[in-house]
Amino acid sequence: MLWYVIRRLLLIIPTLLGLSVIVFAIARLLPGDPVGLAAGPNATPEVIASVAAEFGLDKPIPVQYWNYLTGLLQGDWGVSLFSRRPVAADLAEFVPATLELVIAALLIAVIVGIPLGLLAAIWRDGIFDYLTRTVSLGAIAMPRFFLGLLLQLAFAMALNWLPLSGRFPLIEFPPERITGFYTVDAILIGDWHALGVALQHLALPALALSLSPLATILRMMRASTIEVLQQDYILTERALGIPSWIILFKYTLRNAVSATLTVIGLYVSWLLGGTVLVETIFDWPGIGLYSTQAILGQDFMPVIGVTLVIAMIYLVTSVIVDILQAVLNPKVRLQ
Amino acid sequence: MNLTRRALLGGAAAIAALAHLTPAALAQGSKVMVLASAVDIPNFDPHVATGYAPAMLFRNVYDPLVRVSGNPPEIQPGLASEWALSDDGLTYTFTLDPDAVFHDGSSVTAEDVVWSIERILRLQRGNAWMIEGIVEPGATRALDERTVEFTLTKPYAPFLQVMIWMFIVNKDAVEPHLADDDGQAWLMSNIAGSGPFTMGRYQTGNLYQLMRAENDWHPGGGNLDGAIWKITRETSTQRLMVARGEAHMAMDLSAEDMKALDGTDGVDLIYETEYRTFSIKMNTQDGPLQDVNLRRAISYAYDYDAMLAAAGPAELMTGPLPTGILGFDPELEVPRRDIEKAREYLAKSEYAEGGFTLTARYASGYENMRRWALILLESLKELNISLDIQPTAWPDIVSSVARPETAPDFHFIFQTANYADPDNIAYAAYHSSRNGTWQNPTYGNPEVDTLIEQARGEIDAEARAEIYGEFQRAVVADAPDLFGVLEKRKLALRDNVRNFVFTPVAANAVELLPLSLD
Repeated sequence: MLWYVIRRLLLIIPTLLGLSVIVFAIARLLPGDPVGLAAGPNATPEVIASVAAEFGLDKPIPVQYWNYLTGLLQGDWGVSLFSRRPVAADLAEFVPATLELVIAALLIAVIVGIPLGLLAAIWRDGIFDYLTRTVSLGAIAMPRFFLGLLLQLAFAMALNWLPLSGRFPLIEFPPERITGFYTVDAILIGDWHALGVALQHLALPALALSLSPLATILRMMRASTIEVLQQDYILTERALGIPSWIILFKYTLRNAVSATLTVIGLYVSWLLGGTVLVETIFDWPGIGLYSTQAILGQDFMPVIGVTLVIAMIYLVTSVIVDILQAVLNPKVRLQ
Repeated sequence: MNLTRRALLGGAAAIAALAHLTPAALAQGSKVMVLASAVDIPNFDPHVATGYAPAMLFRNVYDPLVRVSGNPPEIQPGLASEWALSDDGLTYTFTLDPDAVFHDGSSVTAEDVVWSIERILRLQRGNAWMIEGIVEPGATRALDERTVEFTLTKPYAPFLQVMIWMFIVNKDAVEPHLADDDGQAWLMSNIAGSGPFTMGRYQTGNLYQLMRAENDWHPGGGNLDGAIWKITRETSTQRLMVARGEAHMAMDLSAEDMKALDGTDGVDLIYETEYRTFSIKMNTQDGPLQDVNLRRAISYAYDYDAMLAAAGPAELMTGPLPTGILGFDPELEVPRRDIEKAREYLAKSEYAEGGFTLTARYASGYENMRRWALILLESLKELNISLDIQPTAWPDIVSSVARPETAPDFHFIFQTANYADPDNIAYAAYHSSRNGTWQNPTYGNPEVDTLIEQARGEIDAEARAEIYGEFQRAVVADAPDLFGVLEKRKLALRDNVRNFVFTPVAANAVELLPLSLD
């Protein structure tokens, strides 16, 4: 098991290396003139050339890649062409914000989705099942930005229960940075006011982001529970007169969840790459907005940086999911 | 740390107290003005960064020698309390205000001015292009502690107008951090200015809080303690923030947002024309549009009324210059939709029968440009010409217009005047030396070049206006552009903000100094 985990973690390195080559090549070989754009509308060819030289963009692409790679090993993720800020500093600022949002959304999706899926399977073809089926289809189909706007109008504008946007009140200082997750930092320093305020701000965007994975998890959970409930061993357990709640929680849930777990793992990367609309609506200063702007301006370094970070999180998540699978299902052997 | 049961209960109580918020109180309790804007300020170096959000920062934390304000824009004292121009139009002498001090308390001296101008010229970034070829390195001299002299290479009428963008930095504060990049790394995140405000906390991509400088030396001004530049990408969120009183000003509202805000209690709506032109530029060096008669035919075929209707609050342009700027000729005769005339010109061209396809490219994401492209498509049908509309990513547009062969037939472009002088638009958009740039990919006419250069060098305003009159007629005769619209700047302001005056240059780079909150 331990060797398996170490091997899987070590495999992340060549995967990231390969990915960095591909992303670097795509970023550099795209048509367009990002240097001319970064140099400003009135830049002379000499100024454009000097900007290119300043960023090392006048060198052959393999040399640029080598410089990038050696920099990366020293913690230098390159510099944004437009803002000239170090990408590492930007990522340190934006990644925790997005991760906090994604994790909150996933928590909502899992905590609500799994029990509802289980109940829908138990009361299969009943009113509750039909209801969740209809609502979850709607939830999957509804665009997240639209849902975000509706939530804002309802909970911020009409009811005035929750803040409209942002991560923290404008005129207050967020909790002292330890992890960059406001909620976690607030707990760590014991600032309960900050925790409350951070949760208020997190509520609507997390809800908007969670609905689609919630619906998917619910549907997956329902399907896998129904499948498990039809297994021979469940029939045997019923025949033996084992109470139904034990059958459900001890023998069904574990098997049903393990199939859903893979979907949850996949959702991590899907959500990480897809937060941009929710971040825009709710002014959530995360990597979605950061990378979109970088892509539109063909600002290579942030694009490559964000891609590598998302890939890294995805790879680590898949290792965790595999380990959890093994924990939940004794038939799975990690070798 | 240990999580005790009491602490956990406290946390639960805090969460339970989420109930009712009074967001309006957040911003209105103190004299801190909140401005909601979609544009970030990732770099604080006044000699490097450009764009309206950095411009807002620089106008409030740094001082230029002269400022601009009002409508029409007027030059007013900045760091310089007075200035004089020699008779030959070549030497400007500025006298610094003796009260002027940097945020660290040291006096602003002529040496700081010279050092800042030399740094601008060395870096050749940001707004350096505005004085390129006009102020050479070494041409700025400190005559004494408070007097600076600029010797220009040639008379340059817009000189004072461009000086509003030359910000003076504290030489002594920057010098210890020069490193090998002229202090760029340090000034990127530090302020070394003398403006009425200084940077408080900030978080890139989220918010920037300006605070009144401790030793603010500027006379007069309003009662603001500070301001927060809140990055708010979605315009509907900006709208809701102003409606709720969470923001005092929203900078990037759409026409639909403005309509939705109409009649909201406590919100004033501002529609003002600024010097920001939109035109559809034609490729005069490659393809069928090299033919001036075809260009004229299209100029008469285009449905300008439909364009105006699609634009939202706007007015049609009359020729190449924005309405109201020096030399603008309201009587100028420009093409308006007249199909008969269009057909006449088409008949005179080499393409009398039509039957070919032209390309139009605009920066993808601009809804109005998409509408205007569709109007062009409809208009061209009348001349039996098809249109291939290509929404394109902005960097690709910039690279494609570098050569006439790769430039599209129609190039859609907004152009903002950086300074309140016709030279800005005339030089960037119609001088042949700018060919290959997105502002003027292909157009050039030696006669027009001469007029632009003459007007640049003429100091007398009336004589300049006359030259620009000629310039406008010459450009219209060449029909290089479909002169489009001046979209009105749309701002929403809470009604407790006092003394706001719209300035058509730097309209969104609000100067906070005169503003007050009730």
